[in-house]
Parts: sequence; structure tokens; C-alpha cells
Amino acid sequence: MTPLIQVAGLKRHYQMGGTTVRALDGVDIEIPAHTFTVVMGPSGSGKSSLLYLLGGLDRPTAGEISINGERLDQMDENALALFRRKMMGFIFQSFNLVSSMSAMENVAFPMQFSGIPVMERNQKSLQLLGQVGLADRSGHTPSELSGGQQQRVAVARALINDPQLVFADEPTGNLDTASGVTVMQLLSDLHKSGRTVLVVTHDQRMTRFATHKIFLLDGHIVSEEEYKSATLALDNQGE
Amino acid sequence: MKLIDLIRLVVNNLNRRKARVGLTAIGVVIGTAAVVILVSLAIGLQMNANEQLYGIGNLSQINVSPNYGGGGGGYGGPMVQIAGSLDTGESALLTPRAIKDLQALPGVVSVIPREYLNAQMYVTYKKMQGYSSIIGVATEDLTTFGLEADQGITGLSRASVVIGPQVAMGFYDPNLRPGQETPPPPDLYDQQIQLTILKYDADGNEIRKNISVRVAGVLAETGAESDWSIYMPLDQVASINEWANGFRVNRNKDGYTEVIVTVENPDKTIEVRDQIIALGYQAFTMLDFVQGINNFYTILQVVLGGVGAIALLVAAIGIANTMAMSILERTREIGLMKAVGATNRDVLAIFLGEAAGIGFIGGAGGVLIGWLAGQGLNVVAVVYLAQQAAQQGGMPPSVAVYTPIWLPVFVLLFSVFIGMVSGLYPALRAATMIPVQALKYE
Repeated sequence: MTPLIQVAGLKRHYQMGGTTVRALDGVDIEIPAHTFTVVMGPSGSGKSSLLYLLGGLDRPTAGEISINGERLDQMDENALALFRRKMMGFIFQSFNLVSSMSAMENVAFPMQFSGIPVMERNQKSLQLLGQVGLADRSGHTPSELSGGQQQRVAVARALINDPQLVFADEPTGNLDTASGVTVMQLLSDLHKSGRTVLVVTHDQRMTRFATHKIFLLDGHIVSEEEYKSATLALDNQGE
Repeated sequence: MKLIDLIRLVVNNLNRRKARVGLTAIGVVIGTAAVVILVSLAIGLQMNANEQLYGIGNLSQINVSPNYGGGGGGYGGPMVQIAGSLDTGESALLTPRAIKDLQALPGVVSVIPREYLNAQMYVTYKKMQGYSSIIGVATEDLTTFGLEADQGITGLSRASVVIGPQVAMGFYDPNLRPGQETPPPPDLYDQQIQLTILKYDADGNEIRKNISVRVAGVLAETGAESDWSIYMPLDQVASINEWANGFRVNRNKDGYTEVIVTVENPDKTIEVRDQIIALGYQAFTMLDFVQGINNFYTILQVVLGGVGAIALLVAAIGIANTMAMSILERTREIGLMKAVGATNRDVLAIFLGEAAGIGFIGGAGGVLIGWLAGQGLNVVAVVYLAQQAAQQGGMPPSVAVYTPIWLPVFVLLFSVFIGMVSGLYPALRAATMIPVQALKYE
């Protein structure tokens, strides 16, 4: 069976103040469908760059990205937008909810770009809010919700277009321990319901739910042992 | 994205920044209100001018004069200086044959020769005297010229004349002594009046010719030449001219001095006038004059509209600034829109829609304020102008500021357009943002 995500020779270099930052420097990955993949790595390892490239939100410097057999690196902006709409849902560290909209409107927000009638949008939005345990909060704006609740709204929003793939960028990064666990549980439930989940995180706890783990160091994929010895060495240096 | 969703989103987005949108829209309000008031004022002025010109004459008439060759000029009636002519260097005389040619032009209803009495003269009624221009026309009835009788008839005959309503006003008593009361103007209708024509022989002796005629009709007022004129049959005037000037006219050789061409309707006037000029004659129509005045007022409208447009330009810069700020503040939101599947076109439409929305709000406010201000100005100005008219004579204006229905509609559409143009650059920047950069924007 061909993997859902195939990445070959992926590079992402930035120019920063005259020096070239090699955020990703030749990465090959294959991720099968219906898996829960956790991408681990310290700050600056390139893990967020990887997520944004896989999500079609950024353009690679070199290399190929195929999702469901379609080459993202060859698509134009319009095709990428339509592909994201159909295939992907995103969860961000800082939630990125629209402050003037209610929880229900935030969840329904992506659907208006597909021209789905407002009644249908709201119905589905309420159903998803119920799924993340926020049915009674549908009329509240983000400022009236806790961080954990806001992230649950964001999870519901990621699911509104019924995507095959869910990308999460440090989803527990801004949350307290208990809220973080709730969000991890939700992501695990998504995986169990048949979706492919890819989470970029620092949070070691997330690995408990993972079926696949990817470790990144300085733009390269390394084995778990290499990653651990490197991070241990860093920790020792820190001490 | 559906239009209804776009409108809903735009309204929500504008609603969440009420103060800023309101302040930006005030700029548009001032600009559009200025355009509405100033253009309405120019239109009001034009309407007043047209009202004053009501008697300028029949716009379906063309005064045609002969062209005596050699670079134009020559005698050709009182309007020859501004008459158009095709200077071919060849003469084109208004002979009976030429009149037949003019008659054959498409759209021409009638071609009637006309001649002014060209001699020193005065009119006497009982003890009173007056002066008037005497016009001979080759028609039996003045209704041909669109003239109507206020009293009596419009038909002409050798023993009777038809006079304009103002002719009697010019009568005075030459033997009036200082201190005596000025007699009121006489009612000349159905009265005998005497025309006295003067000429001088070679020795300078005065020779008089008296003609007694009955006033068979008084014309209704038109505000034009006919108000001060006495109409007689052409032959009669021509024979008086021959007597006075001692020169016998051969119509087949010399032609008439002027003919009046009447066309079916004013729409054809210019076309027929051009054809007559192409035949080599000099031709003039009051329509030229009216069009000249209308052109002036159109230019005035454009100039005044332009003054208002400067205010709109400032407002447009305000919109551009507001939109640019808004896009900076909402960069992450733009990133989110793109992440959840909004295309560049969707993002462009949203931000253009917001800019157009500011234009619309400002435009609607400006149109309303401009219209109300115009109505207020009307009340004040019409009262003032009516007082002025009462003091100085003349007709009071019916309207000072006039807003035709197309003006607010146009101004509203234009302010929406201004909004879109101002928002274009910021919206394009938003639409072409790279999603990852927008999402990470701090």
C-alpha cells in the first residue's frame, strides 16, 4: 500500500541576515494513512517547517512532497488552497480563533469558502462542538473561553470539512497540564476514528499516543537513540 | 465563496471595527456630500438659466441668410456675425429657386422669406408715438412660426398688422409737459395705427409716407423678438423698403435677405442647419446658443464636481490607510483563512469588499447629507432670489439647487468604486501573502 504522505529530499533554506538557515536539509519520510505521527525535536530543529511544508502552507527549496498521490510542490496557490480545504485540518499553538466570532462561527468559518449553506454549517459546527465537549459554549467568543476550551474549538474547526489529515503545531504548548491531556485525548480519538494525525511537539507525553515517531535534529531525521543522546548531552551541558 | 457569505463576512468585519470604519467613512461622507451639493447647484443654475431662456425662440427654426461670396459677410440679418457659413468664395443667394431647394431638404416643414423694414420710421396712435421693428413675412398666418394670438387673429393682410404684446409699452406722448402724468400704455387691439416712414431727397428735404393699418391681433408673449415687433406681409414691407431706399429688388436675381426654415422637430435642427451651410448659405439657429449655454453649465458641473472629487481623493487615501492598517493587524487571520482553504481570490474579495463597504457607508451618508443640505439651501436661496427678483425685476427662480435622481445613484456607485480602488493595493497584498509567514506574523 502506498503511504499517504511521501517526502523525498525535502529542503527548506531561509536567508536570514546574509546567512543561510537550513531548516530542513534533505528529509525523506513516508507516513501511512490512519497513523498518529509525532514529530519531536528541539527548537530550531525544523519540525514546524516540516509541518507547514506538508500542509502546503510553505514552498520547499528542493524536494518532493506527495499527499494521496498528488504533488504539492507542483501545485499553484489556488490548487493548494482547494487541496487544503478538502484534505486537511490545522490546529495551531496559539489557537488562531477569530476574536469577533462565537465558538460556533469559528468552527463553521472554513465551510463558508466551500459555499455550504449557513444552516448546514451551523448544524455541523454545533455537532462538532458537542464532540469536543463544548456544546454549551457555542455562543461564547474566544475571550470568554479558557485556553483549553479555545484549543478544543480549534480542534472542532479542524474537523469541519471532514479532512483525512489533521496537522497540529504544538497544540499543547499554550495549555496547562490538564487541558493539554484533554487535547491529546481528542487528537487520539481523531486517529482512532480513522484519520491520519501528525503532531509537531516538544511534549514527551504525546508519544504515548503515537503510532509513528519522527525525530529531527538540525534539519535532519535521526533515530530515537541519536535524538535521546543528543538531547541528553544538551541537558547535561545545561546543567 | 458565495456572494451572500462574502457580504455577511464583510459586514461582520466592518462591524467589529466600528470607530475606525466610522471615522474613515466620514471622509467619504464629506467628499460625496460636496459632490452632491456642488453638482446639484450647477444643475440648479442651468435650470434657472434655461427658464430665463424660455423665450429664446423656436428651437426648430433656422435663420438662413444669403452668402454674397468673397469671404462671407454682407447683409444677412441681425445674427449674421455668429452665423455659421461654409466659405467657398462663391455666392449663394436666396432666390425663389433656392427656396425650393431648401424646401426639398428632408425634415424641412416650411421655408418663409422675411425682411425687416429698413428705413427711419415711427408709429402713431392718437396723440401717442412709438417705435417698433417691422417685420415682413411671406406667410398668411403667423402660426407658421409657432406664434399664437392673445387677442384677435394671427392672419396677415394688407390693411392690417399683428403686433407683439410689448409694442404698446413703448408708446409715449411726445407733447407731454413736465409735471403731467404719464399716460398708461394704450390698448392697440382693433385700433387704427399710423406708420410714418421717412426719407430724404438729394437736397436733404424730408419726405414722409403714412400708412394706416388696423391692429388685427396681439400676440401672446414669447420673450423673444416677436414681443416687440409689428408683423406685416412681406410684399408690403418690401415695397416700403423700395420706396425708402430707391432701389428696386429683382427676387430672381437678388434673392431675399433672409428666410426662416422650420424643421419637423428640434432634433433635426442641427442636421438641417449643416445641410444648409453645405449648400453655401449662412445659417443660424438658437439651438446653437442654447447648446453653448448648456455646454458651459456642463463644464461648470464638471469643475464643481471636481472640487468635490478632491475631497473624495483625500477620503480615498484614508480608506487605503485604514485598509493597510487593518491588514497588518489581521495578518494572522489572513494566514488562518488560507490554511482553512480560502483561495487568494477569496481573500482579495473579502478585503476589497470591506473597502467598498466603507465607500458605500460614506457614500450613502454623503448622498443623504448632500441632498438634505441642498433642500435646505433651496428654501433659503429661493426666498432670497425671489426678493432680489422682486426688487430688480425679472422672474423669480423656481429652484436654486436641483438634485436629479441619477446624481445620488452615480455618486453612491462612484464612492463604492473609490473604496474598491483605494482598497485594491492593500487587498492584493493580503491575497498574495505567503500563508506560513502570515500565520507566524507577530
